[in-house]
Amino acid sequence: MKLSTLLLRIVLACAALMVLLPLLWTLLNAFKTNADLLVNTPKLIFTPVWDNMQYVLGRRSVARALTNSLVICSSAVAMGALLGVPAAYVIARVKNRLTREAQFFALSLRFLPPVAVAIPMMVIWLGLGFYDTRFALIVTYMTITISITVWLSIPAFERVPIAVEEAARVDRLGPYATFFRVALPIARPQILAAIAFSFILVWNEFLLAMMLSTSKARTLPVVASEMSQLGMNVPWGVLNAAVVLLSLPPLILLAVAGAGMNSVFSRKSTQD
Amino acid sequence: MATVECRNLCKSYGSHEVIRNFNLSISDHEFIVFLGPSGCGKSTILRMVAGLEEITGGDLFIGGARVNDRDPGDRGIAMVFQNYALYPHMSVRENITFALERAGTSRDEIRRRLDPVVETLGLDIYLGRKPTELSGGQQQRVAIARAMIKTPEVFLFDEPLSNLDAKLRGHLRVEIARLHRALNTTSVYVTHDQLEAMTLADRIVLMNQGRIEQMGTPEEIYSRPATVFTAGFIGTPSMNFFSLDAGEGRLRNADIDLAAPFPLRAGKVTLGIRPGAIRLVPEGTPDAIAATVERDEFHGDMRLISLNAGAESFMVSVPAATRLSEGERVLAHLDPASLHVFDAESGQRLGD
Amino acid sequence: MRVGRSLPYVFLGPALLVLVILAAVPTLYAVNLSLQNRTLSAPQAEYVWLANYLKLFSDDRFLNALWVSLKWEVLTVSATMAVGIGLAIAMFEAATRRWRMILSVLFIIPVLLPRVCAAFVWKFSFHPLYGAVTWPVRALTGQTPDVLAHPWGAMLTVAFVDVWQWGLFFAVIILKLMEALPPQPIEAARIDKAKGWEIHRFVTLPMLKLPLISLLLVKAIESLRSFDLVYVMTRGGPGVSTETLDMYAYSQGFIEAGNISYASSMAVIMMVLTVILFTSIWKRLNK
Ligand SMILES: Nc1ncnc2c1ncn2[C@@H]1O[C@H](COP(=O)(O)OP(=O)(O)OP(=O)(O)O)[C@@H](O)[C@H]1O
Ligand SMILES: [Mg+2]
Repeated sequence: MKLSTLLLRIVLACAALMVLLPLLWTLLNAFKTNADLLVNTPKLIFTPVWDNMQYVLGRRSVARALTNSLVICSSAVAMGALLGVPAAYVIARVKNRLTREAQFFALSLRFLPPVAVAIPMMVIWLGLGFYDTRFALIVTYMTITISITVWLSIPAFERVPIAVEEAARVDRLGPYATFFRVALPIARPQILAAIAFSFILVWNEFLLAMMLSTSKARTLPVVASEMSQLGMNVPWGVLNAAVVLLSLPPLILLAVAGAGMNSVFSRKSTQD
Repeated sequence: MATVECRNLCKSYGSHEVIRNFNLSISDHEFIVFLGPSGCGKSTILRMVAGLEEITGGDLFIGGARVNDRDPGDRGIAMVFQNYALYPHMSVRENITFALERAGTSRDEIRRRLDPVVETLGLDIYLGRKPTELSGGQQQRVAIARAMIKTPEVFLFDEPLSNLDAKLRGHLRVEIARLHRALNTTSVYVTHDQLEAMTLADRIVLMNQGRIEQMGTPEEIYSRPATVFTAGFIGTPSMNFFSLDAGEGRLRNADIDLAAPFPLRAGKVTLGIRPGAIRLVPEGTPDAIAATVERDEFHGDMRLISLNAGAESFMVSVPAATRLSEGERVLAHLDPASLHVFDAESGQRLGD
Repeated sequence: MRVGRSLPYVFLGPALLVLVILAAVPTLYAVNLSLQNRTLSAPQAEYVWLANYLKLFSDDRFLNALWVSLKWEVLTVSATMAVGIGLAIAMFEAATRRWRMILSVLFIIPVLLPRVCAAFVWKFSFHPLYGAVTWPVRALTGQTPDVLAHPWGAMLTVAFVDVWQWGLFFAVIILKLMEALPPQPIEAARIDKAKGWEIHRFVTLPMLKLPLISLLLVKAIESLRSFDLVYVMTRGGPGVSTETLDMYAYSQGFIEAGNISYASSMAVIMMVLTVILFTSIWKRLNK
């Protein structure tokens, strides 16, 4: 093996460890007592305890935040998919000035700085009496989910061959049936990946959630961040446990979406 | 079964006119092939017949009824696409039966119709597979099965074999011919492959720049091309052309001097002759052209010789056993019965 | 092709309507707010027109935040691109197919983690007393290094976490782009005896110029979302050394003064800057 290859492999190994070690370390820390955690020399060997997890899971605020996160994110994602996927289909199929502008508009919403949305939104929801409700967050998040779903679904529909849709028309399918029975099933794996991605975005969202809620509609990231402010003694073990719980859904989605994408790739390779 | 009639069909994209006043009437059971160079509008007409492309002018009748405004599904047609256009998310069986299910055909009826179709095309063992798990030829067979099972009034094919390799193409061509003989459904078939056109067609419609250049049986088109374009487009190796002056019963230019095959008015003409109608003759034969051998291509069953006579160059096909060396001087004789004479200006055929 | 008469309106209309409302209402509202002197505590307000904007430009903290945001953008975008390209080339050159797959999955994980989580993971790792990263320094020198207490240390550490999330992710995307390139030019360069780095310097990277610029733009847009990291790791500190625009707007509007109108005027300036800038760049790129 050449020296340069060896060096590059070392670099790659370091990068891989930079991902793995902090995550595994956090996982370990989630099962340490504070006595095991707050030591000068980090400990690898210790007796694992379930206390941190139990504390996190047992807290009322966490349970409520988990429900909030789930309800808010899945509603916003569902609305995003419901409105965004059909819109993406039209943008992919009808090419004119309006659809081009619509495509760019969906993207440009991402240019808006979150604070710039959060401040007026807060005043608006306060004025309407919806401040600190799930409804307010769902509607606000729809900006994110719709635009991302549209943006990522367009290429998925563009890859559906037009001839297949024409064949469907010859087989007596109307435009709507063509969408539901032909275009959507064919593009499904990528559409699902797009929807999963929009879920991850809102699941991880922090700033809007913090500024648009105070207690009732608090989501998990906000509650997790608040745990570091429980007095002077930062409960690091609890914090690590919260981090682990909060990170699980995106990783699970990665696994699911990854499997979906893999099947797409393998199918493509057999076609070529 | 049905007739198809195009009356003054026009198609334009915006202000760009692609087809103008296209007239064609296809009788029942006929197998029509649209042939022509790329971009001449073959697919456009086929797709207008199918209803996939809006008709911007004229009338289209299928089975006597005007269908301009009918949806593709209601025209009684079935179509086989160039890239197969199978539904990738359905199995082969579902692909074939989808249209019947949509039309509300009963389950028993579908099964009854599926069996013979599947058997004819040899698809039995693939029924459970997805299209992506089939080879190109198998996919195209599924596409044909999908069209066949509908028992349509008219079959439409848009270059169905052009994505396949030469051998498979030959094989499926024979299969399509056999199917047509068995089903006898009116068919319109688009291709730019001469061999497909010649072997399949009852009638060839040769197109050029959105117009019909010539229409007729394969024999007619081959042996009596109506224009220079047709003469040059049909036949491999392609026809030789000479620009000559007609007058005094002769055709001549600086290097060539021939007897005219029939009386001609004085003027410029284009003379065409296929390489196979030229023979190399011994020294001293009258009315022959003196030429030198420029190149010699071996084609297996024959040789194609490029000859030079002054500024003119032309091709002759000779038996493969003939031995000629480059630069050799020969005499070429043009068979008078195989001469095609065209008006140089209009490109139209002269004489009979 | 024809997609039916009603379908385009039925499918595209609602989404566009909702998006336009969700975009226009807050934007106009922010502009309106920024022209008043509204605070969280007092609902009564009057129009002060451009006073907030004028005040901004004599506000040292705002100018500092502008400067910090600029530093943040340049730092994270360039570091992300460098790490992404470097690791992608390393994978392309030195990893087998199998390992490319494994590394790709690994490298995608950080960007999917909630930013709050990433911030905590690294904040604890850099903890002066108990952190795993700082442990070697502790063990060797006996000192307790607190990088987050140092102005540049804090900036670099937060930027590091951002690059940890995005740089690795970009490496995967750039690798996929490189794999999709036609192999002939690279092979031709090999035949011309180009060295490994020369192939990438003169063949692959120039061929990827447009997608790389798009990626850079995407990162520039995503770098605007620095709030979560900064909030969890430093709260803008030490002092105001990591106080980006959104952090400052947040503390003006919520924590310190509840000065919503003032914060709004900042938000409006950010909106104008980013939307105009990115729109013009993006349109020019995709022309
Ligand atoms: N959507 C369109 N807009 C504008 N012009 C078009 C469009 N579709 C086709 N054309 C033009 O119409 C003409 C005929 O196209 P058509 O597809 O019928 O050609 P064809 O004979 O099928 O060629 P090929 O053998 O290459 O398939 C071409 O010159 C093409 O440029
Ligand atoms: Mg065509």
